[in-house]
Amino acid sequence: MTLLEVSDLKCQYRLDSHTVQAVDGVSFYLQPGEILGIVGESGSGKTTIALSILRMLGHSASVSGRVSFEGRDLSSLTVPEMNQLRWKEIAIVFQNSLEALNPVMTIGEQVTEPMLRHLPITPSEAKARCVDLFVMVGLDPSWMNVYPHQLSGGMRQRAMLAMALSCDPRLIVLDEVTSALDAFTRKEIRELLYSLQKTRGYSMVLISHDITFVSSLASRLIVLYSGTIVESGPTPEILNDPRHPYTRGLIHATPDIFLYKDLWGIPGDSPAGEKQTGCPFNLRCTQPVDACRETAPFLRPCGNGREIACHRGGIATLLKAEGLRFRYPLPDKKTLQAVDDVDLEIHEGEVLAVVGQTGSGKSTLAHILAGVLVPETGNVLFMNGSVHGGTQGHRFRGIQIVFQDPFSSTSNRFTVCDAVKEPLDINKIGDGEERLRMVKEALDLVRLPSTDQFLGKYCGELSGGQRQRVALARAMIMKPRLLIADEITSALDVSTAANVLRLLKGLQNRRGFAMIYISHDLSLTLKIADRIAVMDAGRIVETGNAHDVMLSPKTGYTRRLVGARIGLCCHDHDHAQEMRADDRKLKP
Amino acid sequence: MNEKTRNTLIIRFVITLLVILAINFFLPRMMPGDPFSTTSSDVQGEDIVTMTEEQRQYFISYYGMDLPLHEQFFRYLANMAHGDFGQSIYYKIPVTSVILIHLPWTILIIFCATALSTAVGIILGLISARNRKKRSDRVMMTGLIAFSEIPSFLLGIILLLIFCVWLKLLPLAGAVTPFAHYAGVVDQALDIAHHAFLPVLTLALAQLTGVYLLTRNTLITVSSKDYIRTAYAKGLGERIVWTRHALRNALLPVVTRTGFMIGLMMGGAVLVETVFSYPGIGLTLRSAVVNRDYALIQGILLVTAVSILLCNLLVDQVYRKLDPRVSD
Ligand SMILES: Nc1ncnc2c1ncn2[C@@H]1O[C@H](COP(=O)(O)OP(=O)(O)OP(=O)(O)O)[C@@H](O)[C@H]1O
Ligand code: SF4
Ligand SMILES: [Mg+2]
Repeated sequence: MTLLEVSDLKCQYRLDSHTVQAVDGVSFYLQPGEILGIVGESGSGKTTIALSILRMLGHSASVSGRVSFEGRDLSSLTVPEMNQLRWKEIAIVFQNSLEALNPVMTIGEQVTEPMLRHLPITPSEAKARCVDLFVMVGLDPSWMNVYPHQLSGGMRQRAMLAMALSCDPRLIVLDEVTSALDAFTRKEIRELLYSLQKTRGYSMVLISHDITFVSSLASRLIVLYSGTIVESGPTPEILNDPRHPYTRGLIHATPDIFLYKDLWGIPGDSPAGEKQTGCPFNLRCTQPVDACRETAPFLRPCGNGREIACHRGGIATLLKAEGLRFRYPLPDKKTLQAVDDVDLEIHEGEVLAVVGQTGSGKSTLAHILAGVLVPETGNVLFMNGSVHGGTQGHRFRGIQIVFQDPFSSTSNRFTVCDAVKEPLDINKIGDGEERLRMVKEALDLVRLPSTDQFLGKYCGELSGGQRQRVALARAMIMKPRLLIADEITSALDVSTAANVLRLLKGLQNRRGFAMIYISHDLSLTLKIADRIAVMDAGRIVETGNAHDVMLSPKTGYTRRLVGARIGLCCHDHDHAQEMRADDRKLKP
Repeated sequence: MNEKTRNTLIIRFVITLLVILAINFFLPRMMPGDPFSTTSSDVQGEDIVTMTEEQRQYFISYYGMDLPLHEQFFRYLANMAHGDFGQSIYYKIPVTSVILIHLPWTILIIFCATALSTAVGIILGLISARNRKKRSDRVMMTGLIAFSEIPSFLLGIILLLIFCVWLKLLPLAGAVTPFAHYAGVVDQALDIAHHAFLPVLTLALAQLTGVYLLTRNTLITVSSKDYIRTAYAKGLGERIVWTRHALRNALLPVVTRTGFMIGLMMGGAVLVETVFSYPGIGLTLRSAVVNRDYALIQGILLVTAVSILLCNLLVDQVYRKLDPRVSD
């Protein structure tokens, strides 16, 4: 029998001026002995869910939906019945442990209190049991007689756990138990919870915004956004292959999962609690369609025990290439297989890095994907349409490509204004005034001055970094859905390259376009890539999550590529292996 | 408490005491007039004794008032050190005796009033906080705040008129029935309670709203704390959560306030004792001021100040006991 079943839970806080829809139709279940994780950013309604399970929301909240525990509908219980059940059957550990313990009562008093309330035992028996509990959670029993403020954060958290375990509950709800703790203590608490669950089979609902912590313990995950579940499923599947754009953003913003990448949060704010029509995520989504603004998507199964709430069925495929081949003729009638049987997929809002040595066929591939070069075999579909003839580059929200050499993409004899405006001129978009406005906008976007003086400058007068930015502005003016950046920093010095790269990633993050970033420099790509495709002699030899490719390269070629990084610290690679090992330890 | 904090505590106490002594000495002497030129009398029908100039000079030098001020002050300090408060000029008996006769009555009414207002205030505050945002809370709060606007002497007079003049239920003046023969201790105690009832009530009512509001507001703040949530989650039930968990935390500021309150009540006692002609230290102080009885004024003020000081010290200790966070 399922231990806990929550169906269509809705919670609303009535405030003086407005109401806050904190939880909006949440359903989930928990099997005995299972750890379920609920993740979501601050204000997504996690604590509200925890409180409503125990019917502990105050008078200002209205709750609907059904919470059943071991088959009993909790809303049908009277207050005394509910009080019988609280802590005895379901115990809860709240976030912020200094406030969660009564400052004027000793720890021992507080741990024995629920035992005296719920169990048929004498005070001295309760005290003896308290000693056992302290030992169990790794606290010295001598701490029983001190007050909460005399304990450290980690010790308080242990005391809270001892308190939660005191009546041997069937279910423990843990709300942000580690968010106030340092990394080391956090890990200790994790170990403790892990061993408690393994040895005693406690069922737990683990609530946190810390996805690393939750996923290291929970077998299933629920991702909460603005009071609704956007994705749920088994933990490893969700971590390795997030389907919802929000889940992906959450995972990508987690430093423990992406060890090398620079952190980029999900742009925008959660509309926490505001009543809205449409998908709650639509303002921050990288792939909204019209339906997203009109109706809210329902949570639907999508195989493997996973569920997702998205009109587009999760992160959509933007570009799909199959069986691409291309040969260059060589002078002596021979040919060079530049691209050899390449399959490639890029998703909405994703940064895919294609890395490989010079001459491995990266640029040729880029040209094929942009539709500038026609492959001998295979085809490329962009949003289910052909890219043939480069027509995707002629319209807004299509594909744009920025080349390796800024001096070739922007002619010396063009002024900045002309260079940026050219795509509009060629494609006859807008009138003169409108074009100028768009040019200025694009220049602002790439942080170049949009003064008349600068607009009138010749491209030949600009520095390399500036020219690369002009090239970027030229691409951005077409508001691409996919940007292909081919070695755009290789001609620049380190500092300028870093600036351009940050600018590019910032633009990508904010505007949510997908990007294929082509480079031979592995270290640099690691800073921005979500996925990496490794290319050797025209073939893609390996693809995967950036950190996986980096930490456990599967092919010899990738290993060589990884090893060829000139690290200042010669232990760099070993260190990475160590971290990886730690990472594995963290996962059960 | 370690030695260091104890030392600073003692030093603070001594300095405060010295300042009190100084103020105490100079303040009465800055009032116009002297004890031997009283021309008005407080009590109707009392014979006004007018002295000749020689008599006056004699008394002035007898009480050492012809000495330079600083010399008087040092003498005064020396006497204080011996516990000698001097002679009351008006009553012609030692100041200590005067104080010992009257102080117990004041202590009685202040103690009872403090206990009463604190207990009732806390209970009302608890009821109000538990019914927060309901009608009963609003009615109680508005009522008590409006009530607290009535000055306590006016309240005393109103009570006096209702209970003593109109209903004739309670005695008009005094602390005991004069020349009464009591059948036993119980009888005597009842008589004392009978007389103290209105002064205590007046004093207590003046403080009630303050205690009530403080309790209510602190309870409301405390009730949103996470540990209250934890207490509910433990299934302890509403009553235990409020008393064992919320009230125990909310009492801390109430205790501090009670300390200040005792000081305030000393002032209030002068008014209330005057209204009810209750023979406490307040009434005595009043007549001492009217008669320019320096020695007595000084004695009373000193006793008052020292008792306030002791009260605060006591409250400090109680607070340390109640709140484990300040004890180390
Ligand atoms: N007592 C309350 N009164 C009114 N609104 C509330 C109350 N508690 C929470 N909310 C609102 O409900 C929404 C969800 O809050 P909740 O505390 O459940 O979020 P959370 O996911 O636990 O966030 P955090 O990670 O910060 O703890 C938020 O918009 C919050 O402002
Ligand atoms: S595609 Fe639409 S439904 Fe899906 S997450 Fe984005 S906004 Fe929501
Ligand atoms: Mg929370």
